[in-house]
Amino acid sequence: MTSLVTFDRATLGYGRRAVLTDISFDIPEGDFLGLVGPNGAGKTTILRALLGTLEPLGGSVTRSPELRFGYVPQRDQVDYNFPLKVVDVVMMGRYDRIGLGRRPTADDRRRAHQALEHVGIDRLADYPLADLSGGQKQRTLIARALVGEPNVLVLDEPTNGMDLVATTQILGLVRELHDRDRLTVLMVSHALNEVANYVERIALVVEGGFRIGTTDEIMTEQALTEMYGIPVEVDSFDGHRIVVARRQTGEMATDSV
Amino acid sequence: MVTASSLRVVKPGKWPPTVFSTVLLFREALYGALVIALACSVLGVYVVLRRIVFVGAALAQISSAGIALALWLAGVGIALGPVTEPTVVSLLLTLGAVMFFASGARGRVPPDATIGVTYAVAAAVGILLIAKAATGEAHDIFLSGNILGITRRDTLVLLGVTLPVLAVHAVFYKELLFVSFDRETARTLGYNVRWWDLLLYLTLGVVIASAMQFAGVMLVFNFLVLPAVTGLLLSRTMRGVFFWSVASALVAAFVGFSLSVPFDLPSGPAISAASGAFVLLAWGARRTITRS
Repeated sequence: MTSLVTFDRATLGYGRRAVLTDISFDIPEGDFLGLVGPNGAGKTTILRALLGTLEPLGGSVTRSPELRFGYVPQRDQVDYNFPLKVVDVVMMGRYDRIGLGRRPTADDRRRAHQALEHVGIDRLADYPLADLSGGQKQRTLIARALVGEPNVLVLDEPTNGMDLVATTQILGLVRELHDRDRLTVLMVSHALNEVANYVERIALVVEGGFRIGTTDEIMTEQALTEMYGIPVEVDSFDGHRIVVARRQTGEMATDSV
Repeated sequence: MVTASSLRVVKPGKWPPTVFSTVLLFREALYGALVIALACSVLGVYVVLRRIVFVGAALAQISSAGIALALWLAGVGIALGPVTEPTVVSLLLTLGAVMFFASGARGRVPPDATIGVTYAVAAAVGILLIAKAATGEAHDIFLSGNILGITRRDTLVLLGVTLPVLAVHAVFYKELLFVSFDRETARTLGYNVRWWDLLLYLTLGVVIASAMQFAGVMLVFNFLVLPAVTGLLLSRTMRGVFFWSVASALVAAFVGFSLSVPFDLPSGPAISAASGAFVLLAWGARRTITRS
């Protein structure tokens, strides 16, 4: 399968400070990859290198020609004080296609509505963005990423701060976009338990360490215990895998990895 | 400072007809105030939405320090032609500050503290220079501006600055909006965010520097903030916010100016007070709509 992005012994960091060294992996067309790790582990650094907004300090990051990302930022990265309608925000995903100094055409507006329909919120097109719920805002940002007709959908912590229902719906939507449209997806998250049951491969980043494999390869007690450096159990419930970290006292603590 | 009474045109006994004839006497100044109101109220929408209100204040203060420097140089007999003209000195200093703010330089000092230091130093240096400037009335002008002193030529110069700035903002509206709203996503779509920041700051600097010598720190800052706040209170679309921002600034300039002339009030503060009244009215309207 064609590789869309290739990290070849890439050293990533800021200034002279390396955050991650010798990272090698690729993202083939049609992949559904979860980039998982605790806050501060280097997920954002990998994400920036992938998107091309951070040059590697060593090695290389190669992107296939004509590659186009549909980027969904963290929800709190967007300023909701701006008095924008949902459809106006979605339209931004086409701004670079529309061109400098040009106005959106009727076709651009039609595509923006189509993208909203695709994520199930076309009825909210004329609502102020600030009035939407967390899940609806996330759908708006996903629609904005889709309207640019990307090869790869990149989502940064898409379920951060959401309740259980909204989290399940957003992850379900992303999975549906991957299955239905065969869209290549990279999802960045700190919540292994959430991501593991939706993605096909997992890249685990923990304190400078990096490991990538299929979900079956990564979601093992041995692999996770090695990466996190604490005893970890992987349980299964109704087809869903749940990672549980053992406290040193012997008590069980869920959601700690 | 030039006031209506200094020209002996006030006849309170014949109000209101005298109001219009008196205002007409100063119509060139009114036109100038309206141009300043228009330019600042458009750019002010970005200033408020991007939360760079204090960058606006600091730029205004630096610009006024530039005027003070030019007046002081003139006072001590240093004249290097156009380079030491108040507008030119003000513009050069402001653009220098624009480059600094737009560079987004990060150090150990938090950005808002850097802005605070710039503001305080510019204010102090400006006042010190004015204190030693030979121009007797300079201190008043420094604070409140000299709206009534605007001539037809000044208005044309202001228009010459304002129209290209507004044209740039009209043409690149969607780009400036995008990098202001979500710079990270804009960056992933290939936008050079720093370049667009610089363009926004440059237009801001040019407008502030050209308006400062007539309007003063208070009125320029007022036009950069209050009309945009009025717009944000009254509308929930960008188009509506721009409309109400510009409309309230123009009406405040007209009302404040018209009342200041016959009542012998300083024009700048009168216009600022009118802008403040619009903010209050907009706030009341918003509350009424929200409750109903």
